[in-house]
Amino acid sequence: MMKELPLIIIESVDYIYPNGTAALKNISLTIHKGEMVAIMGKNGAGKTTLIRTLNGLIRPTVGDIYINNENTNMKSIAELSQRVGLIFQNPSHQLFANSVEEEIKFSLKNLYQDNEELQAKTDDVLKSFNLEKYRERSPLNLSGGESKKLAVASIMCRDPEILVFDEPTLGQDANEIESFIKFIDSEKKKEKTIIIITHNIEFAFEFIPRTILMAEGKIVADGPTQIILSNNFLTERSSLVLPQTRQLSLALSNIGFQELTNITSRHEITEYLVKVLENKVTSIKEE
Amino acid sequence: MSLEFLNAFKFMKKESFLHNLDPRTKLILALIYTIGALLYNQIMPLFFIFLSLLPIVVFGKILKQWVKSIRGLSFLVIFIIILNTLFISLSFAIAMVLRICIMVSAFSIFFLTVDPNDLALSLISMKIPYEFAFSFSLAFRFVPTIAIEAQNIIDAQQSRGYEMQKKGIISQIKNLFPLLIPLIICSIKRAFNVAEALESRAFGSNKERSYYYTIKFSKKDWIFTIYLILVLTTLILIRIQFNSMPAWFLWGLPL
Amino acid sequence: MDLVRFEGFSFRYKGNEVYALDNINLRIEENKFILLCGETGSGKTTLIRCMNGLIPQFYSGFYKGKVFVHGMDTTNTSIANLSTEVGIVFQNPENQLIAMNVEHEIAFGLENLGVHPKEISKRIKESASLTEIEHILDKAPFELSGGEQQRVAIASILVLKPKFLILDEPTALLDPYMAKKIITLLKEIQLDRNLSIMISEHRLDLVIPFAEEMVLMKEGRIVEHDSRDSVLNGLIFQNLKLNKPVIYTIFSELKKRNLIKGNIPASIPAALDLIKKFQHE
Repeated sequence: MMKELPLIIIESVDYIYPNGTAALKNISLTIHKGEMVAIMGKNGAGKTTLIRTLNGLIRPTVGDIYINNENTNMKSIAELSQRVGLIFQNPSHQLFANSVEEEIKFSLKNLYQDNEELQAKTDDVLKSFNLEKYRERSPLNLSGGESKKLAVASIMCRDPEILVFDEPTLGQDANEIESFIKFIDSEKKKEKTIIIITHNIEFAFEFIPRTILMAEGKIVADGPTQIILSNNFLTERSSLVLPQTRQLSLALSNIGFQELTNITSRHEITEYLVKVLENKVTSIKEE
Repeated sequence: MSLEFLNAFKFMKKESFLHNLDPRTKLILALIYTIGALLYNQIMPLFFIFLSLLPIVVFGKILKQWVKSIRGLSFLVIFIIILNTLFISLSFAIAMVLRICIMVSAFSIFFLTVDPNDLALSLISMKIPYEFAFSFSLAFRFVPTIAIEAQNIIDAQQSRGYEMQKKGIISQIKNLFPLLIPLIICSIKRAFNVAEALESRAFGSNKERSYYYTIKFSKKDWIFTIYLILVLTTLILIRIQFNSMPAWFLWGLPL
Repeated sequence: MDLVRFEGFSFRYKGNEVYALDNINLRIEENKFILLCGETGSGKTTLIRCMNGLIPQFYSGFYKGKVFVHGMDTTNTSIANLSTEVGIVFQNPENQLIAMNVEHEIAFGLENLGVHPKEISKRIKESASLTEIEHILDKAPFELSGGEQQRVAIASILVLKPKFLILDEPTALLDPYMAKKIITLLKEIQLDRNLSIMISEHRLDLVIPFAEEMVLMKEGRIVEHDSRDSVLNGLIFQNLKLNKPVIYTIFSELKKRNLIKGNIPASIPAALDLIKKFQHE
């Protein structure tokens, strides 16, 4: 999925708070169109600061950021947020309008001058997010799940090509996580670029191909998720733990099942264990 | 006036004679300086009163923050000078500026050096019911939290195209709704959470409350308070005898 | 005597038609480490609020049946009194820390109960040592990390010496390493103090290894309450849409194919033992 020029280029960016503390130190990275990337790290490592530089909420103190070849410093937050949709954790920070319909219209009004077009697009969004039945309802009267959906819809309706999520699986049960996975799958098919800040190791390990690991404002690792999250040294440094599949495969290889050392998927481990238990494979220690 | 100005009133724990004084002493300081400032319309006395704050500020180790609070007044100061000069005189204008600076400084000293917790305790010692004093200190405690929440709300709204700058008074007011409504709702939700947490720790029990931390008026407090009372008495006496003061004291700008 | 006993208890919040809790019959015994789980909206937080009288005294609504805390009826015993039996640590420490420093935070509950300052001092030391926060007693709440804040919140409840400690999603805001530490710490506290501890969690893989009992909720009802292994191996758990641990998924598949018998392992060591055992059968 690599095109010639990366969609997002971050070049030697520093960000220093007014009080002098450095939140980002010499950050450089590139992300190509259509990639899906996880950003992980200890609380306070700079993850949320980093994503805020993408839509201009935070401007780098030093360094440049290019989105689609345009320097972010040349664009306003409103302009950047058309390209980069930042979806935060708490829907309550956004919802305020008299009705769900009004809520969507609020996000769209700067993009659609014509009233008819505005209405048509709003109807479209309500339908595709399954919010049609709540059209007249006050956003404050929605359940947790529905208000989260509305918050996402209110960003997605602007058709950003880059989606950034801040801890989307926090406090979610399996149903909700499943819906989320379906959602980002369908966005991926539309070639959207997806960036996810998460603490959910199992989720990242299974669904997100690339991970950027941060600690103390710096990037300490950037590469395939399965390799980075399998590395004990890196996970310890970032206050993470190894994914369960990895813990299991390591433990099993320690009692003799050497072949498991590099196996990482749940499915592969299951199949391997099936063979072991059907006595088709014996551990090396037994021989 | 930016949020920076408010920082100049935020309590910061330090070791200094000022920080160690009882909060009631500092309240007396703020009140006495305010009364002192109101006693005079003339530049010289106000100037001296203002100067007398400086050693307190320096020994209280709050010079930087105090300077910030004065600086934050700059806009207001210009406003006062212009208005008063037009209507009365430049002399009066400068005197008014000094007066405002004294009052703001006095209270700034109070807020910079009084631990909100001690504030509640001092209110209680003045026979204010515990629940009120506690709400007061609770409000203090949550100000920075709500400020952060407000920033998060601004970030979230800007991320969907909301623009902060609008033209026209009505537009500007309407433009506040996307910020105020989430803030109010979040604050109400927060209030519920805090309340249930308080209940779960026996807040409102019918037993008589005990106090783990107490504030006590020490010898230093008595000395300082007596000093402040003497200062006030002197100021009042000077005021009464004002016209028999030496000429330089009565000096005002010719304008 | 049961620490908490629900007898046919139902509750709906004022203004809601749907019952958030439907005919709850639950008994919490002493000295147990319990995991409470269920899909979003199943009533976990509502259930927790009943345990110290917040429901029905703080949250208005309509209820049927009774709830007893150590024999005391939660409808006519003050929440303050119930707080010395049941302690609740809520989700967001930010909204529970109200004092300007940690020491005073811990003292707060005892001050409310009129406990003598000397006794308060003693209990602060105990709680701080139990939750490993002796070194931050003079810090302000906003200077603390998420993990430290959580421990302060726990200490400030433990100081009231409840026999039953409940935590509502204690790891929600913590990174994985901190989350694991907190759950481990809670298990140590449970054993050290002979408490019962109940944790409501979505991150099941963190708590299942330590849990002795599990309570499953669905749509306001308790659909199962049994020993951890019984629940884990049961059909109800299998069919609920919860974030099942990876080990559970792998081994329930192996069990389905009849390659292992007995209990689905709750932890990695147990999983290893099981593999070793069935390898040669």
